[in-house]
Amino acid sequence: MNPLLEQFLSEAREFLEGIGEKLMQLEQAPGDASLMNELFRLVHTLKGNSGLFEFPEMTRVLHAGEDLMDAVRNGRVAYCRGLADQLLDAMDFVGLLCDEIESAGRIVASRAADSARLAEALRAQIASQAMTDTARTSEDSTPAAGATAPAAPATPPPAPPPLADIPEAVRVEAYRRAQDRDSLYWIAYTPAEECFFQGDDPFFTVRQTPDLLWGRIVPREPWPRLAELDAYRCLLDFHLLTAAPRQELAEHYRYVPEQVRIMAVDPLLLVIPQGDSNGGPVSEDFAAAALHHLETGDLAALEQAAQTLLELSNPELWLSSALRWLLLLLDRVPDNHAALRLLIESLRTLTPPDWAAASAAPAETAAAAKDARPSGRVHAAKAPKPRSELSEEDAAALAAIFAAQRQILMLDDHPAWQPGRLKAVAGVLVNCCKASGDLTAQNEIEAALQEALATGDSAPLLAWLDGRRRGQPTTAQTHPAPAGADLTANAAPASGRPQPANSSPPPQSPATVDEAPRFGRRAEDVIAGPKSLKVDQGKIDRLMNLIGEMVVSKNALPYLAQRAEDQFGVRELAREIKAQYAVINRIAEEMQDAIMQVRMVPVSFVFQRFPRLVRDISRKLGKEVRLVLQGEETEADKNIIESLADPLIHIVRNSLDHGLETPDLRRACGKPTAGTLTIRAAQEADQVLIEISDDGRGIDPGVIKRKAYENGTIDEATLERIGDREAINLVFAAGFSTAAEVSDLSGRGVGMDVVRTAVEKVNGTILLESEAGTGTRIRISLPLSMAVTKVMIIESDQQIFGVPMDHVVETVRVPHTAIRTIKHSQTTVLRGRIVPLKNLNTLLELPATPKVNADDELAVLVVRAGGGMVGLMVDDFRETVDVIQKPLSGVLSDLAAYSGSALMGDGSVLMVLNVKEIV
Amino acid sequence: MPIEYQKKQALFRDVVSVEEAEGLLEWLQKKPAAKVDLSACTHLHPANLQVLMAAQTRIAVWPHDANLRAWLENALSE
Repeated sequence: MNPLLEQFLSEAREFLEGIGEKLMQLEQAPGDASLMNELFRLVHTLKGNSGLFEFPEMTRVLHAGEDLMDAVRNGRVAYCRGLADQLLDAMDFVGLLCDEIESAGRIVASRAADSARLAEALRAQIASQAMTDTARTSEDSTPAAGATAPAAPATPPPAPPPLADIPEAVRVEAYRRAQDRDSLYWIAYTPAEECFFQGDDPFFTVRQTPDLLWGRIVPREPWPRLAELDAYRCLLDFHLLTAAPRQELAEHYRYVPEQVRIMAVDPLLLVIPQGDSNGGPVSEDFAAAALHHLETGDLAALEQAAQTLLELSNPELWLSSALRWLLLLLDRVPDNHAALRLLIESLRTLTPPDWAAASAAPAETAAAAKDARPSGRVHAAKAPKPRSELSEEDAAALAAIFAAQRQILMLDDHPAWQPGRLKAVAGVLVNCCKASGDLTAQNEIEAALQEALATGDSAPLLAWLDGRRRGQPTTAQTHPAPAGADLTANAAPASGRPQPANSSPPPQSPATVDEAPRFGRRAEDVIAGPKSLKVDQGKIDRLMNLIGEMVVSKNALPYLAQRAEDQFGVRELAREIKAQYAVINRIAEEMQDAIMQVRMVPVSFVFQRFPRLVRDISRKLGKEVRLVLQGEETEADKNIIESLADPLIHIVRNSLDHGLETPDLRRACGKPTAGTLTIRAAQEADQVLIEISDDGRGIDPGVIKRKAYENGTIDEATLERIGDREAINLVFAAGFSTAAEVSDLSGRGVGMDVVRTAVEKVNGTILLESEAGTGTRIRISLPLSMAVTKVMIIESDQQIFGVPMDHVVETVRVPHTAIRTIKHSQTTVLRGRIVPLKNLNTLLELPATPKVNADDELAVLVVRAGGGMVGLMVDDFRETVDVIQKPLSGVLSDLAAYSGSALMGDGSVLMVLNVKEIV
Repeated sequence: MPIEYQKKQALFRDVVSVEEAEGLLEWLQKKPAAKVDLSACTHLHPANLQVLMAAQTRIAVWPHDANLRAWLENALSE
């Protein structure tokens, strides 16, 4: 999974959460416009994001949701609980899709239909509400009319597909395929009129349809005159017959589910004799004889008679066509007497057998029609008793119950309580059937239950359910259908006992029954949680402290090894301790690194507030500013980044207020009217560099010098001596301000001083460069992390001190002769630069002179301090170590010479020098 | 060129894309009696197809591609 997608998924979850929350809040305060806007924004953003990926299912639902929210926002649709429910449902669906994408990397094809349905439901909300609205406005006296309007207009049942248009040969083939257990589907594909502009090629899509048996292209409306024809408005409809599984079709048409209607086709409906309808009398005789054969069960004779008549007849005749079908049925489903009878009956009238009208529900329950029709028309006495009509809701509920029972039966664990479970299921089924007025079903279920209990297998009950689902009752004795036989036809009992069509199959609309797709999450659902974890910072800090302690205590091991060797003389042990130390050292370092990574945050954390800040301030000041942010992904320790926030805001404000000129002034100077403020972050070794630069007027050192002198920051001598570069850095001095008057932006004289303090607090350095007229640049360099400090240990007067490595430039041995004394200061020349030398002992007021080594060389530690370099004369250099620096507390906190103390591995305390203070 | 316009006949080749429909429509408006030769055509965008259908253009040669031919015969013969 690519990072973009990963991010999308984690964001999407957050959005969904937010949307859910907002919806809840809206329930409390439906009139809150800002909440509504927020909600719309969330949905809108999520939709936009989803568009980046190929998830049409998701985008479609979100788009519909967005439209709905927009309508609500604009007051076209009133917010109500039902609407919220639908939105929540849709969002649950989106969440489900997210889970699917995360686990499988893609969306299951069958979701397309659900998605289309949900989107339609959402849009229906807009339409119905709009309708209600108009109703309300037109007839104010009858508001009830609006209230009772159904949420979604009931769609008329789809017209049965015009199967008669399919050539007989294709239908025969399709029928055979259906008998071979392929499902048949009629697809009506109505591409959107503007689809050509979206790069669609519906014809190509159609040609690629899997298992295509037949197809045709028909114009949607009469063709206009050529002169008026718009070639790019799609006026074509596509009709197809395919034997592919529904799943595959849904996958194939997943991008256009709302333009496609896929209808299951009962194979019997394909049996439509066609042709010239001459030659009636013969057929009358034949029909009588054939019915006789059928009743006596003499199928061989029937087949022979049909064969003979067919040979004698003109193949073009309607009669011949019917006979061909009769033979086919005899061949494939000889047991389906009802069907055969119906077909023979139709020979009398020369009208196609009316398979569809006889059945209550179209297509799917056509099998029941076979029974219902003859009993209804021919044998009126055996007419089924009128079944109690179920309301649509009840039917759906019933279907849901059946689906649930089915799921229970499908469980393939075999617990000890299996018999109890079976009984429970049977009980539910019986009660359901009773409730729906289907009394005869009870016996069948009982029988199935007995069989199931006997075998300990749920198959018989499942078989009953399956039979029922196809809309027909199945006797308990139904044995597994022989392979290849027509399942539906087989269900008609061989005994000839007319099975009343009493099953009253709930009027099922094909999509809603078996799946009953609800996307609502239940508490017990396994939630694929997001992969990121929010942890209290205190816990991480604790980890950090612990690993710090560990680093220190692991450092004790080398001392231990030394002791083992020196004091106890066990070399072997010393070596082993050292080996162990190496291992622990490696793990500790990795661990430290890992914990450090946890604390790392990108600087964008701070940067993200700048666009807004800059926009607001620059507008207030009437300046035009272009903000450039670079290196936002640079990472550093959270504490460091956080400590950076305030100084950066100060600096940006200063740049905007003092640095950048007004557009008029800029134009006068020949600069572009819009000033540029660049904030750049980069990582350099173990430092984070932040550079804030503007192309404004820069800082005039003269002004700074004079101001500094005026408010007493520098004395007269310094005023004379100080260079421009140093003068500019005077702005960091406490209480310094150049602004003539205090504004709400700056001028209080605390700005840059505070900035410097904040940066130095986290061991960072700040440097200002400026050129009058062309701009200012401030460079802040910060350590990546502050938990563990690398210090170099130096020795002086038999004591050890630590110097933070951040300050160390280099270590050199300087011969005594290379040291010159200028006035009272000692200096030396290093690579062409004069470096002032200071005696550490003197700085610390230790009464000792620096030691020299055998070659009469002094150890000089060159450190960076206050923008310059200083050489510290010490006795000797030692190793560098990682320490956890603890600030000095209590009475020691006044000792400015030390920045802190650290515990060494051998238990001694290392004082860490505050280089800036002592130099 | 997927469509080669000759004097009284248009020759379709390979895949005739959506961009061709406009030109085809214009051409057929000028020459209502023209025929089309689809023999070398393997697929044509429905925009072209509906132009042919609306113009009731006579087909001089059906496509060699049997699948396409079946579709087109059905649509264009009516």
